[in-house]
Amino acid sequence: MARWRYALATKWREPTAIIGLLMVALFAYLIIVPIVTLLGDAVQVQFGDARRAGGERGSLTAYYILRTLTSPVAQDLFWAPLTHTLSVAFGVITISLLIGGTLAWLLSRTDMFGRRWFATALIVPYMLPSWTFALAWTTLFKNRTVGGQQGWLEAMGITPPDWMAYGQVPITIILALHYTPFVILLFGNALRRFDSQLEDSARILGARPHVVARQIILPLMLPSLMSATVLIFAKCLGEFGVAYVLGLPVKYDVLATSLYRSISSRQTGVAAVLAGAIMLIGILSLLIDARLVREARKFVTVGGKGAMNRRSELGILRWPATGFAAFMFLFSVGLPLTTLVLSTLMQVPGNFALSNFTLDYWIGTGLDTVALRTGILLAPELWQATWNTLWIVGTASMCSGLLGLLVGYVVVRSPVLSVGTFLRQVTFFPYLVPGIAFAAAYLSLFAVPRGPVPALYGTAFILLLALMADQMPYASRAGISAMMQLGKDPEEAAQIAGAGWFRRMISVVIPIQKGALVAGVLLPFISGIRGLSLFVILAVPSTDVLTTYSLRLIDYNYTQAANAVVLIIAAIAYFGTLAAQKITKTNLAEGLGS
Amino acid sequence: MPNISLTGVNKSYGGNAIRAVSDLDLEIEDGAFMCLLGPSGCGKTTTLRMIAGLEHLTSGCISIGDKPVDSIVDGIFVPPERRDMGLVFQSYALWPHLTIERNTDFGLRLRRVPKKERLERVERVMETLGILQYRDRYPSQLSGGQQQRVALARMLAVNPKVLLLDEPLSNLDARLRLEMRAELKRIHSEFGTTIIFVTHDQWEAMTLATKIAVMHQGTLQQVGTPDEIYNRPANRFVAEFVGSPPINVVSLENKETDSLATMVRDYVTRLHPQRPAIGSLGLRPETVQLAGPQETVPDDHFAGQARLAAVLPTGGSWIAELDCGGRTIFASFNQPVALPVGSTVQFHVAPTAMLAFDEADHRAELGTDRSRTAANNEMAG
Repeated sequence: MARWRYALATKWREPTAIIGLLMVALFAYLIIVPIVTLLGDAVQVQFGDARRAGGERGSLTAYYILRTLTSPVAQDLFWAPLTHTLSVAFGVITISLLIGGTLAWLLSRTDMFGRRWFATALIVPYMLPSWTFALAWTTLFKNRTVGGQQGWLEAMGITPPDWMAYGQVPITIILALHYTPFVILLFGNALRRFDSQLEDSARILGARPHVVARQIILPLMLPSLMSATVLIFAKCLGEFGVAYVLGLPVKYDVLATSLYRSISSRQTGVAAVLAGAIMLIGILSLLIDARLVREARKFVTVGGKGAMNRRSELGILRWPATGFAAFMFLFSVGLPLTTLVLSTLMQVPGNFALSNFTLDYWIGTGLDTVALRTGILLAPELWQATWNTLWIVGTASMCSGLLGLLVGYVVVRSPVLSVGTFLRQVTFFPYLVPGIAFAAAYLSLFAVPRGPVPALYGTAFILLLALMADQMPYASRAGISAMMQLGKDPEEAAQIAGAGWFRRMISVVIPIQKGALVAGVLLPFISGIRGLSLFVILAVPSTDVLTTYSLRLIDYNYTQAANAVVLIIAAIAYFGTLAAQKITKTNLAEGLGS
Repeated sequence: MPNISLTGVNKSYGGNAIRAVSDLDLEIEDGAFMCLLGPSGCGKTTTLRMIAGLEHLTSGCISIGDKPVDSIVDGIFVPPERRDMGLVFQSYALWPHLTIERNTDFGLRLRRVPKKERLERVERVMETLGILQYRDRYPSQLSGGQQQRVALARMLAVNPKVLLLDEPLSNLDARLRLEMRAELKRIHSEFGTTIIFVTHDQWEAMTLATKIAVMHQGTLQQVGTPDEIYNRPANRFVAEFVGSPPINVVSLENKETDSLATMVRDYVTRLHPQRPAIGSLGLRPETVQLAGPQETVPDDHFAGQARLAAVLPTGGSWIAELDCGGRTIFASFNQPVALPVGSTVQFHVAPTAMLAFDEADHRAELGTDRSRTAANNEMAG
């Protein structure tokens, strides 16, 4: 009895423990329950399927798993998309490792011209939504296979073949361009940390340069390369936008688009199986990554005081090297953006006569189109979508940033150790689940009223919750590391000085963590603005955000308007990143790599 | 301020998996300068934090006077913010977002001390510690020593009844450490505060404390004045932990057959023909004397031959390394060693200067003066 009283007086005296428990409940509901519901949907007979699945609604069935994996339609539903996803992913990994690896080496270890400028410029593709490039690609290469506005090449009398206009080739190239910055960041960081003295020691012992490269540098760089590989793979798995824009015309489905189709054709059970499969592959690949990295870390030396970073002199190759970097910048940023900008100004595609240029698509009025009779900037839907984006993403980022800090606080301070451990793991879990699968899970949980919770589908609330949960891995990692860095000493000092819990929060913890909080809100905000896969499943026209709005415009073939919206998103994402860097005095480009 | 007493205090982590402190009984008298001394991981910081209320007990009781502040049996816990203690952290834990003055007056503001008095008190304590001129700076703009003073000033400003210090000097350079030691001693006598001080540095403990509590693996080994700890260590651990260069301990167990062990065994047998249960003998380096090979040494001294392997000057003193049949004995002197390095020398130690330990490593009396005289007479006869 007294022991309990003592426990009550110590561990449960302060709100920390209560907050910890509340958050355990919150995240169990926001993260674990949706996924469990989704997996449940995969093995339970869904509404309207009673006859086909041969059972009561809600009873257990293997129908959906068999349909997805072995039935006559399994090829179209699962196996072909899986093959496509894998072949795209491996193509993307190969290309981005080759290009990104070379660029990372040029940027961090050579005397190439303009390294500082390129170091930022070459990261830009990652700041923009990936399907910006997909739209630029269709603007250039679209052919007669689909209707609507012509591509520029077609308009100039050259018909690009289907394989070049749609499907695997363009998807692979575009995703490779998009994820190259990822390699540049991860591999570049590892190269920068690499201690030249390790190289020197080998050389002094008589190793020739290629021996040094093969036996010293490569093994030590392997963890970062593996990390980049697995992370790109995991991201390709959930990639929706590019495959949707470029794969649809030739029925080139990847797992994400197949999932989207199943959801839009109301095959809930099949969608659940697909989402489960995506989740499983995602979890497996990240577990492999964690394993490999842990193995490799055993021998990786992080350069300490003695670390030296020497630059190779390129000599005569300086110019071609700089040329290569410049070409990559033009190809991955300059060309697509210019194309998109021009496409929104031209009436007839590919006609560069001055009379063909117009600002109508931006600010025109009374246009003779079926719908959208004004320029995009005058369309109320755009402003509605912009407002939705800002407040939904903004609120979600604010909440997840705050929750992240609270998770950090509980992890560091909770008197019950297991609460901290659970929170740390559960908030990291969405990282293993591609956004589109996570959205599917939310759909299956919140599409119908459950207990006291009404059906949330169609409201902005479901977007908010899903986005928040999706951002938790970053937010909680930021919060935990900030609180770890702070440690408990400053707070305990205040406690000794006589401050109670709320006083300590207000006068000590929150003021000290102000910077971390700002970063923890801004970073998810920027990535949330350009996010698509989560919204595309959960948004309805009234809760359109900019990304889903532009997707709708594509569907209706308002090419110029769609391109304009994508440009607006790109601008917000890019200038937002710059502003956030200024405010937090950090290099967010590096943070984006995580 | 009444005494602080810890009774049967236990602290374990992870459900008894790790025992940080076990069965600790300790009484800290009012106005004492008590030092908790021990190697890292011995439980001294945990003990300090339990006294502060930052760590909770697994069992036992802590009371101030006759008022318990932690008691499992009665289910009592007084939270740290109401114990009226000061704690200086090893990391200083200054609040980075507050100026030095705001750091210092934080506690007074919490206690709603009127502005005039607050200013007066803050200025006085900052003046005393020589940080008044930095009042508007932020912690990051101060050096380590200055930050340390702020951490101290912050706690002194509220005039706590007990001041707890967790290795506060370990992050300072040697010179500053010396200055701060003097400062702490002055504060102790000036404010009359009870100070409990955690350190792993025996020097610090010896120079500062009025009482030292030596801890090892979570258990209290000995409580005593610095003099008692050094000259009458309770056991072999205390003897070996305190003193630099460390004490030479020669084990007498029968399996030890090297020449030094044999010599010591013979000596003990000679002194005590009945062979008391002595497990080992300790020779403090400064009690080891050297003599030329031909010189005679007093009869009752423990004496032996060794090779003078090296002499290491440390500035004011000299440490001689003696090689005695493969075993190294340290001896220290406050004047240069006249004998040539590499030569064979005699070393000897007065019986009164030796520390004996029984087979359980507790200190044993080598024999009272009378018995020693008896032994001498025996030898003479």
